[in-house]
Amino acid sequence: MYSSGRDSFRSRDSTSSTRSDARERIKDCLRKFIAFMFTQVGVGALVVCYAILGAAGFMHIEKDSPDEQLENVKQWRISCVEQLWDITNRYNVLNQTAWTYNSNNVLKVFQNNITNAIRQGYNGRTPEEIWSFPAALMYSLSVFTMIGYGNVVPKTAWGKVGTIAYACFGIPIYILYFCNMGKVLAQSFKWLYITAHECSRREDPLLEDGEIQPVKRKITVPSTACLWVISFYILSGTIMFGAWEKWNYLDSTYFCVISLCKIGFGDFVPGANIADSAEGSHVKLVINFIYVLLGMGLVAMCYNLMCEDVRVKVRELREELKNCLDDITLKITVCMNDTKYYHQRQTRNIK
Amino acid sequence: MPRRRRRLGSRVRSYVRALLAFLFSNVGVVVLVVAYTIAGAFMFQAIEGASEMERVNNMTKERDNTAQYLWQNVTLALNLFNDTALKEGISRELLHYQRKIVVAVHRGWDGGRSSRQWSFSSAFLYSLTVITTIGYGHLSPRTSWGKIVTIFYALLGMPLFLLYLSNVGELLASWFKCIYALICLCRGCPGFTRRRVVQYRSQLELSEAESIERPVGWMDYSESEITPDFVIPPYVPPDARRYPRQDPRRAAYIRSISLPQPPRHPQVPPVRGWSEPIHQAESVSSDFTYVTFDVQTITVPISVCVSFMVGYLMFGSMLFGQWEKWDKLDGAYFCFISLSSIGFGDFVPGERVYTPRIETSFIVCSLYLMLGMALVAMCFNLMQEQVIHYYAGLKRAMKRICRCKR
Repeated sequence: MYSSGRDSFRSRDSTSSTRSDARERIKDCLRKFIAFMFTQVGVGALVVCYAILGAAGFMHIEKDSPDEQLENVKQWRISCVEQLWDITNRYNVLNQTAWTYNSNNVLKVFQNNITNAIRQGYNGRTPEEIWSFPAALMYSLSVFTMIGYGNVVPKTAWGKVGTIAYACFGIPIYILYFCNMGKVLAQSFKWLYITAHECSRREDPLLEDGEIQPVKRKITVPSTACLWVISFYILSGTIMFGAWEKWNYLDSTYFCVISLCKIGFGDFVPGANIADSAEGSHVKLVINFIYVLLGMGLVAMCYNLMCEDVRVKVRELREELKNCLDDITLKITVCMNDTKYYHQRQTRNIK
Repeated sequence: MPRRRRRLGSRVRSYVRALLAFLFSNVGVVVLVVAYTIAGAFMFQAIEGASEMERVNNMTKERDNTAQYLWQNVTLALNLFNDTALKEGISRELLHYQRKIVVAVHRGWDGGRSSRQWSFSSAFLYSLTVITTIGYGHLSPRTSWGKIVTIFYALLGMPLFLLYLSNVGELLASWFKCIYALICLCRGCPGFTRRRVVQYRSQLELSEAESIERPVGWMDYSESEITPDFVIPPYVPPDARRYPRQDPRRAAYIRSISLPQPPRHPQVPPVRGWSEPIHQAESVSSDFTYVTFDVQTITVPISVCVSFMVGYLMFGSMLFGQWEKWDKLDGAYFCFISLSSIGFGDFVPGERVYTPRIETSFIVCSLYLMLGMALVAMCFNLMQEQVIHYYAGLKRAMKRICRCKR
């Protein structure tokens, strides 16, 4: 604070003195740029730029990786065809049961091979198909938000190393975004809530007549309002994804919750359907990107507001408890005094 | 009788209070998290295990269908004599079948292995990945009940796990600080000592600016209190004359990092004008004050935290590399992805090599994750402290500079 104030002061001084004008101007520009970078828009832009940069990098690294799995699968299929041909040659068209039995065995071997390949990352697509730009964008988002869907994963060694480095730098940036966005959204939401609250109160006829200003209390947004906002966001996501992806409502609710909680199983990812057309899935991925990024900001907002609310509630509770305890101690002392008095009287009476 | 009942009631109340206090202590939180995870494991096993057999049967039926289709449409329709057309037909059919397999595996069919997917240990790992928000996704609920239960399980479990992280992280941070103080300060590794002296010097400069009263008897004090290992000449060398007050501080510092004071040492008369934590800790002197002093005031440098985390990562990569036959990079990648709670799920222990010890592998992975998350929290704690410390120093320096210039 101090330093920035001093700097701007100095810069204003020096601009008046026309000497080394250009340098100072550049310095001023730089300062303004840095100040802007730490505002909310700057951080948001930084996150988006970082995601785009990461997407381009990962696309470049992963796109031309040789995929042995595809070749392997092709080989297996060809050998399977050969075996089936052999079987057809041996048992003619005449012996159906033997033919079915043998071909079933062949198919079983083929199926086991393919499941093993899938376990090791075979996806039925070539790397060019997998690492389209929106998919890479989604991938870098899932890395630095720590969601980790896992529907798209790096196969090359360089991709893995790059992922580790990318996460190391990306997670702090994301946390900055999270905090900043949470603060801004919380402030605006609070303002909105308070204005709404006051408007509704002014409509109240009792207070208007009485002209007694109620005690200005610090208004905190109740947690239920935050929960409503979050559930509304999840609901809108549910309807949106349900309409596009033709998931049922349970599935899309499940997807939204799992994404916003940063769990990210990756069993449901928009646009990951094999049968989908390429362009549609890309649009879906981009919209999912925006949805998740905004949702994270909302979660941060709710976290902020709820923290505040809980803190206020706890303070109130503590005060109440203290009052209660004071009451009890007072009552007990009064009671004790009474009994003492009573005893004293009794003894005096006996005397 | 009423008296006795009241006693019973108060006893019950005190039991409840003790139980709650225990639950919010460190042990209680750990027990709570483990119990919650085990309960989740049983629940998910019960919910999801039932639907598993259905899918296996479904897939068998699918294979039979494909064979039948091949017989009907390819072998019968195209004759034995048309070689290329037959092969083409079979190939097309197989491609179709292959797509079906891919979809089925993505829907959670595991290729008809003998071992069950939702065994107890894998369900345990699953519920752990839910509450830690790692979410590997190697297992995911398929039934609608499983999904609903997962949502509520996560909503309830994540705050619990955050509680665990903050509690255990704090505890581990204090332990780590203690160990660090014992090891690094008793031996007095040279780099650290120098850094410490430099730090003191900067602090002295600052306190000079805040015009603290100069101690009077610092000469005698430094002479009487030095331990024999660290002899500081009472005469101030000419180049150090610029900071004449460095010596008593330094003596005090060295005394504080040395071994416990033997009781025959005389009590230190508190030096006038200095209000530093060392003296206050010393004035309540017992043999072990040096530990409390260290824990109160020391901050562990960031580099130590980072190297500790890297060491834990390397340990994990070695462990899993040996256990799962991954190479070093894959192991480190897996550990990093897990501990940063990203959790892609392309590498999961016990996924590739199906051996009888898969159960233990799941359990080892769960333990590694729980400990690792706590260690990450610990490192964050320590680093935060250090950053705050730096920040406070920076702020003070800034204030001083401003005051000097204006």
